[in-house]
Amino acid sequence: MEWLNELGRRLRQLFRRKQWEDDLAEEMRLHLDLRAADKGSEAIAKRKFGNAALLREQSRGVWGWTFWDALAQDVRYAMRTLAANKGFAAAAILSLTLGIGANTAIFSIVNAVMLRSLPVEDPHRLVALHVGNAPGDRRRGAVVTNPIWEAVRDSQQAFSGVLAYSPDRFDLAAGGESHFSNGLWVSGDFFRVLGVPALRGRVFTTDDDRHGGGRSGPVAVVSYAFWQANFGGDSNVLGRTISLNRHNFEIIGVTPPWFRGLVADQPFDVAIPIGCEPLLHTDESALGHRSWWWLRMMGRLKPEATFEQAQAQMNSLAPEINRATVPTAWDAKGRERYLKRSFWLQSGAAGISITGSTYKTALFTLMSVVGLVLLIACLNIANLLLARATSRQREISIRLAIGASRSRVIRQLLTESLVLALVGAACGLLFSAWGARLLVRLLSTKTNQLDINLSPDLHVLAFTVAIAVLTGLLFGLVPALRATGIGPNQALKENARGAVHGGSRFTLGKALVTGQVALSLMLLTAAGLFLGTMRNFLKLDPGFNPHNVLVVQAAVPADRIQQKLRAPLFSKILSDLRRRPNVRSAASSTLAPVGHYFWNQDSHPEGYQPQPVEDDTLVNLNRVSPGYFRTMETRLLMGRDFSDRDTLASPQAMIVGEETARHFWANQNPIGKTITMDGPGKNNSYQVIGVVKDAKYAELNEPLLKTGFVASTQDAEPGPDLHFEIRFDGPMEALVAAVRPAIGAINKDAALEIRTLDARISDSLVQPRLVALLSSFFGMLALLLATIGLYGVISYAAARRRGEIGIRMALGAAEGAVTWLILRDVAFILAIGTALGIGASLVAGRFIKSLLFGLEPTNPETLAMAAAVLCASAIFAAYLPARRASKMDPMTALREE
Amino acid sequence: MRDEIPPGTLYMLILKTLMRGGELHGYEIANSIQQISDDILQVEEGSLYPALQRMLLKGWVTAEWGVTAGNRRARYYRLTAAGRKQLQTELAQFQRVNGAIQRILQTT
Repeated sequence: MEWLNELGRRLRQLFRRKQWEDDLAEEMRLHLDLRAADKGSEAIAKRKFGNAALLREQSRGVWGWTFWDALAQDVRYAMRTLAANKGFAAAAILSLTLGIGANTAIFSIVNAVMLRSLPVEDPHRLVALHVGNAPGDRRRGAVVTNPIWEAVRDSQQAFSGVLAYSPDRFDLAAGGESHFSNGLWVSGDFFRVLGVPALRGRVFTTDDDRHGGGRSGPVAVVSYAFWQANFGGDSNVLGRTISLNRHNFEIIGVTPPWFRGLVADQPFDVAIPIGCEPLLHTDESALGHRSWWWLRMMGRLKPEATFEQAQAQMNSLAPEINRATVPTAWDAKGRERYLKRSFWLQSGAAGISITGSTYKTALFTLMSVVGLVLLIACLNIANLLLARATSRQREISIRLAIGASRSRVIRQLLTESLVLALVGAACGLLFSAWGARLLVRLLSTKTNQLDINLSPDLHVLAFTVAIAVLTGLLFGLVPALRATGIGPNQALKENARGAVHGGSRFTLGKALVTGQVALSLMLLTAAGLFLGTMRNFLKLDPGFNPHNVLVVQAAVPADRIQQKLRAPLFSKILSDLRRRPNVRSAASSTLAPVGHYFWNQDSHPEGYQPQPVEDDTLVNLNRVSPGYFRTMETRLLMGRDFSDRDTLASPQAMIVGEETARHFWANQNPIGKTITMDGPGKNNSYQVIGVVKDAKYAELNEPLLKTGFVASTQDAEPGPDLHFEIRFDGPMEALVAAVRPAIGAINKDAALEIRTLDARISDSLVQPRLVALLSSFFGMLALLLATIGLYGVISYAAARRRGEIGIRMALGAAEGAVTWLILRDVAFILAIGTALGIGASLVAGRFIKSLLFGLEPTNPETLAMAAAVLCASAIFAAYLPARRASKMDPMTALREE
Repeated sequence: MRDEIPPGTLYMLILKTLMRGGELHGYEIANSIQQISDDILQVEEGSLYPALQRMLLKGWVTAEWGVTAGNRRARYYRLTAAGRKQLQTELAQFQRVNGAIQRILQTT
């Protein structure tokens, strides 16, 4: 407890500093006076007493104030110095604000979607359960079928609780234009295992999760935000019903505001039990289906169990579950592989994030880009500080000469740098709050609204402070070491302008600028590659004409519209659409073009010998109406389009893409060939009646795929939803306004989602566009910073060489020779910087390969372009001081010496 | 001939002086140490003051302002219970070390 008393005494004294100083001074004065009287001489008294100032300093040191005193002094002094150099301070703080702000903005998104723990009870005991043949099989293994989930739920002993969930979207509208909410299918134990209680009402029980609904019927739990937005926080919400995909669910509970679901960037609105799935999907339920992969599983480790124990238990359980759930429709090879799978535990504390997986590389690329920009800014400030250190040489030398220790002076110079960095960081934090929100808004699309919780937390704050301190040390340390490394004698001997000093500082400045050149070149190359990617996307021929096409997704209630009624209903809608004014043509398809969904099957083409290559016979399918290719403006190369004569009674017809025809029947006429599809069903043989030009199928950046189209008029089991493609003339708004009531008049329950094909494609380009935009912005910023740095160093060098240049000119050197003298340095810097930059770009390029489309990271044109832009601006920046030097009057220059 | 005091013994000397003298101010402490040691022990007088500050911090002494015989304000220091305990500890340690050194020196 002694140290506590000590601390108390320290603090008491701290609050009476002034008094303390006076007391000590008076005490010492008394001592000196008495001794002087005793010895009869003040000088002897003083000699016997020792260095009073030093002793006072030591006395202060006893109370531990020296460090803080010195710090306060240094900070005050730093503030004064910066205030006296407003231009320098403003330039440094602005570049730090941008640099640190951009870093913090991107980090706060990374933090929100990848690092932040789920706001649930003890998130570190939660693990995600993936399936696969190896632990790394993440992408495919994250989702399982309902039979797998139920087998795990009913037989596992490894966890104190397991849960399953699946994000989905539910249409809240009772009919007409769809109004989607973020839905979540959850298991009965979901909220209990997570430890999320109900704020109002109750959460689900295992009874609610029984197939077809429990004793309480179809029930729903809504989120706090949804409750506030749609019910105004009305406490009578319990017992009210909401319509989800036109089925009524009773609201039984509201979750607390801190629970936003397990998907970091898409907070849930409504959760319903997995057991209610058959109510929504009346045609075919996923509950018993062995190859519908849609559920994600998590488990909570038992209090005493370790991760490894739980993993071992799941390993031993896997074979039994695999045997019970193996998909019957799979071929022998697939089934064999399936039986060898196991369950793999992954840390689940951070939940999952759609943004996290989709944009991971993009976010990390942007993170590196802004990191490099900050580095360039640091080099710039270091260079400014170097130049400033030269003008402060005398000041520093005098300090050293009158006895300041080198470490003390370095400490004071570093304090200045840190003050700069922290002020920059504070501004950067404000800038990032705005920047991160802007970024999220730019990343959001109409159908994928991101809602990321960006409220700053300790992670973000710690990150910002850490990079501020790091940058402060980075740009401050070398100049501080430099400035104090010269002996005071030598520095004081020199004349005030520091004329002919060893060239070493000059070389360090050049080295820093060379680094800037290299880094800027990297950023410019990256920007060029991303811009090239964007250009490739934009000029890409998707195989159809995306302009002036409206895509209408229509879904009718499956339980009210029987299967045999659907085909007539859809064809009635289609013929109505075709009669509308301004509609040139209209068609329908099961999958929307480039709609991110796949429907593919293995096939047995007539006369084709399958090769042992992956996906060798896999064909990507779509079911389209007659006139689809004409509407999409996809060219029919051979044969004929579907027509109304292709009916259920006639032989099944197929139109294949060029690539399919080439792959299966390279040198033969594909028309008339038979192709048989894998999978259940009676009649799976199709006759090829036509070949169309290849078009993009699911994604714009997909490789060339084998595609096949079957006729909607030959669909024996039509689903309840469909896409209509309408090619129109004139204004889109009028058409949209007409389409909605037109379809509503035919079926009032049909849910509609209407968007142009252009807009749908544009949404899928959000990420490459944003990466291109931001990397160009930061690339230009880097170029600007590097150019300024170069300009600074060259003008400084030119100024230092005035005397030399004056002599040269007096001896008859021509203007051009003087200009070249200066530019030679620049050429040297550029040569080395460009070489380094190209090397670094080639190495770093590998990491961004997955973000590029249609060009390689080593693309020589892009590298050459970046180098040319950089060299041009560098030479422009250096030409000004070089020219100024060559224009000066030698007499003036020499007189100054 | 005057000798510097052995390092680390200043606290002990101050404590002992205060133990004997009761309430003393800095000048009196310095004088007292010199006189009793017959002017052999030489203290850089000013170094008393950082030492006294440290002792205040440790709680070995307390200080109070009073008036000297010559009617000047002076800070008088007095030993606390903790100070007495500290003196015993330091004395015991000093004598132990001193004794050991003596034994070595006397062994022929």
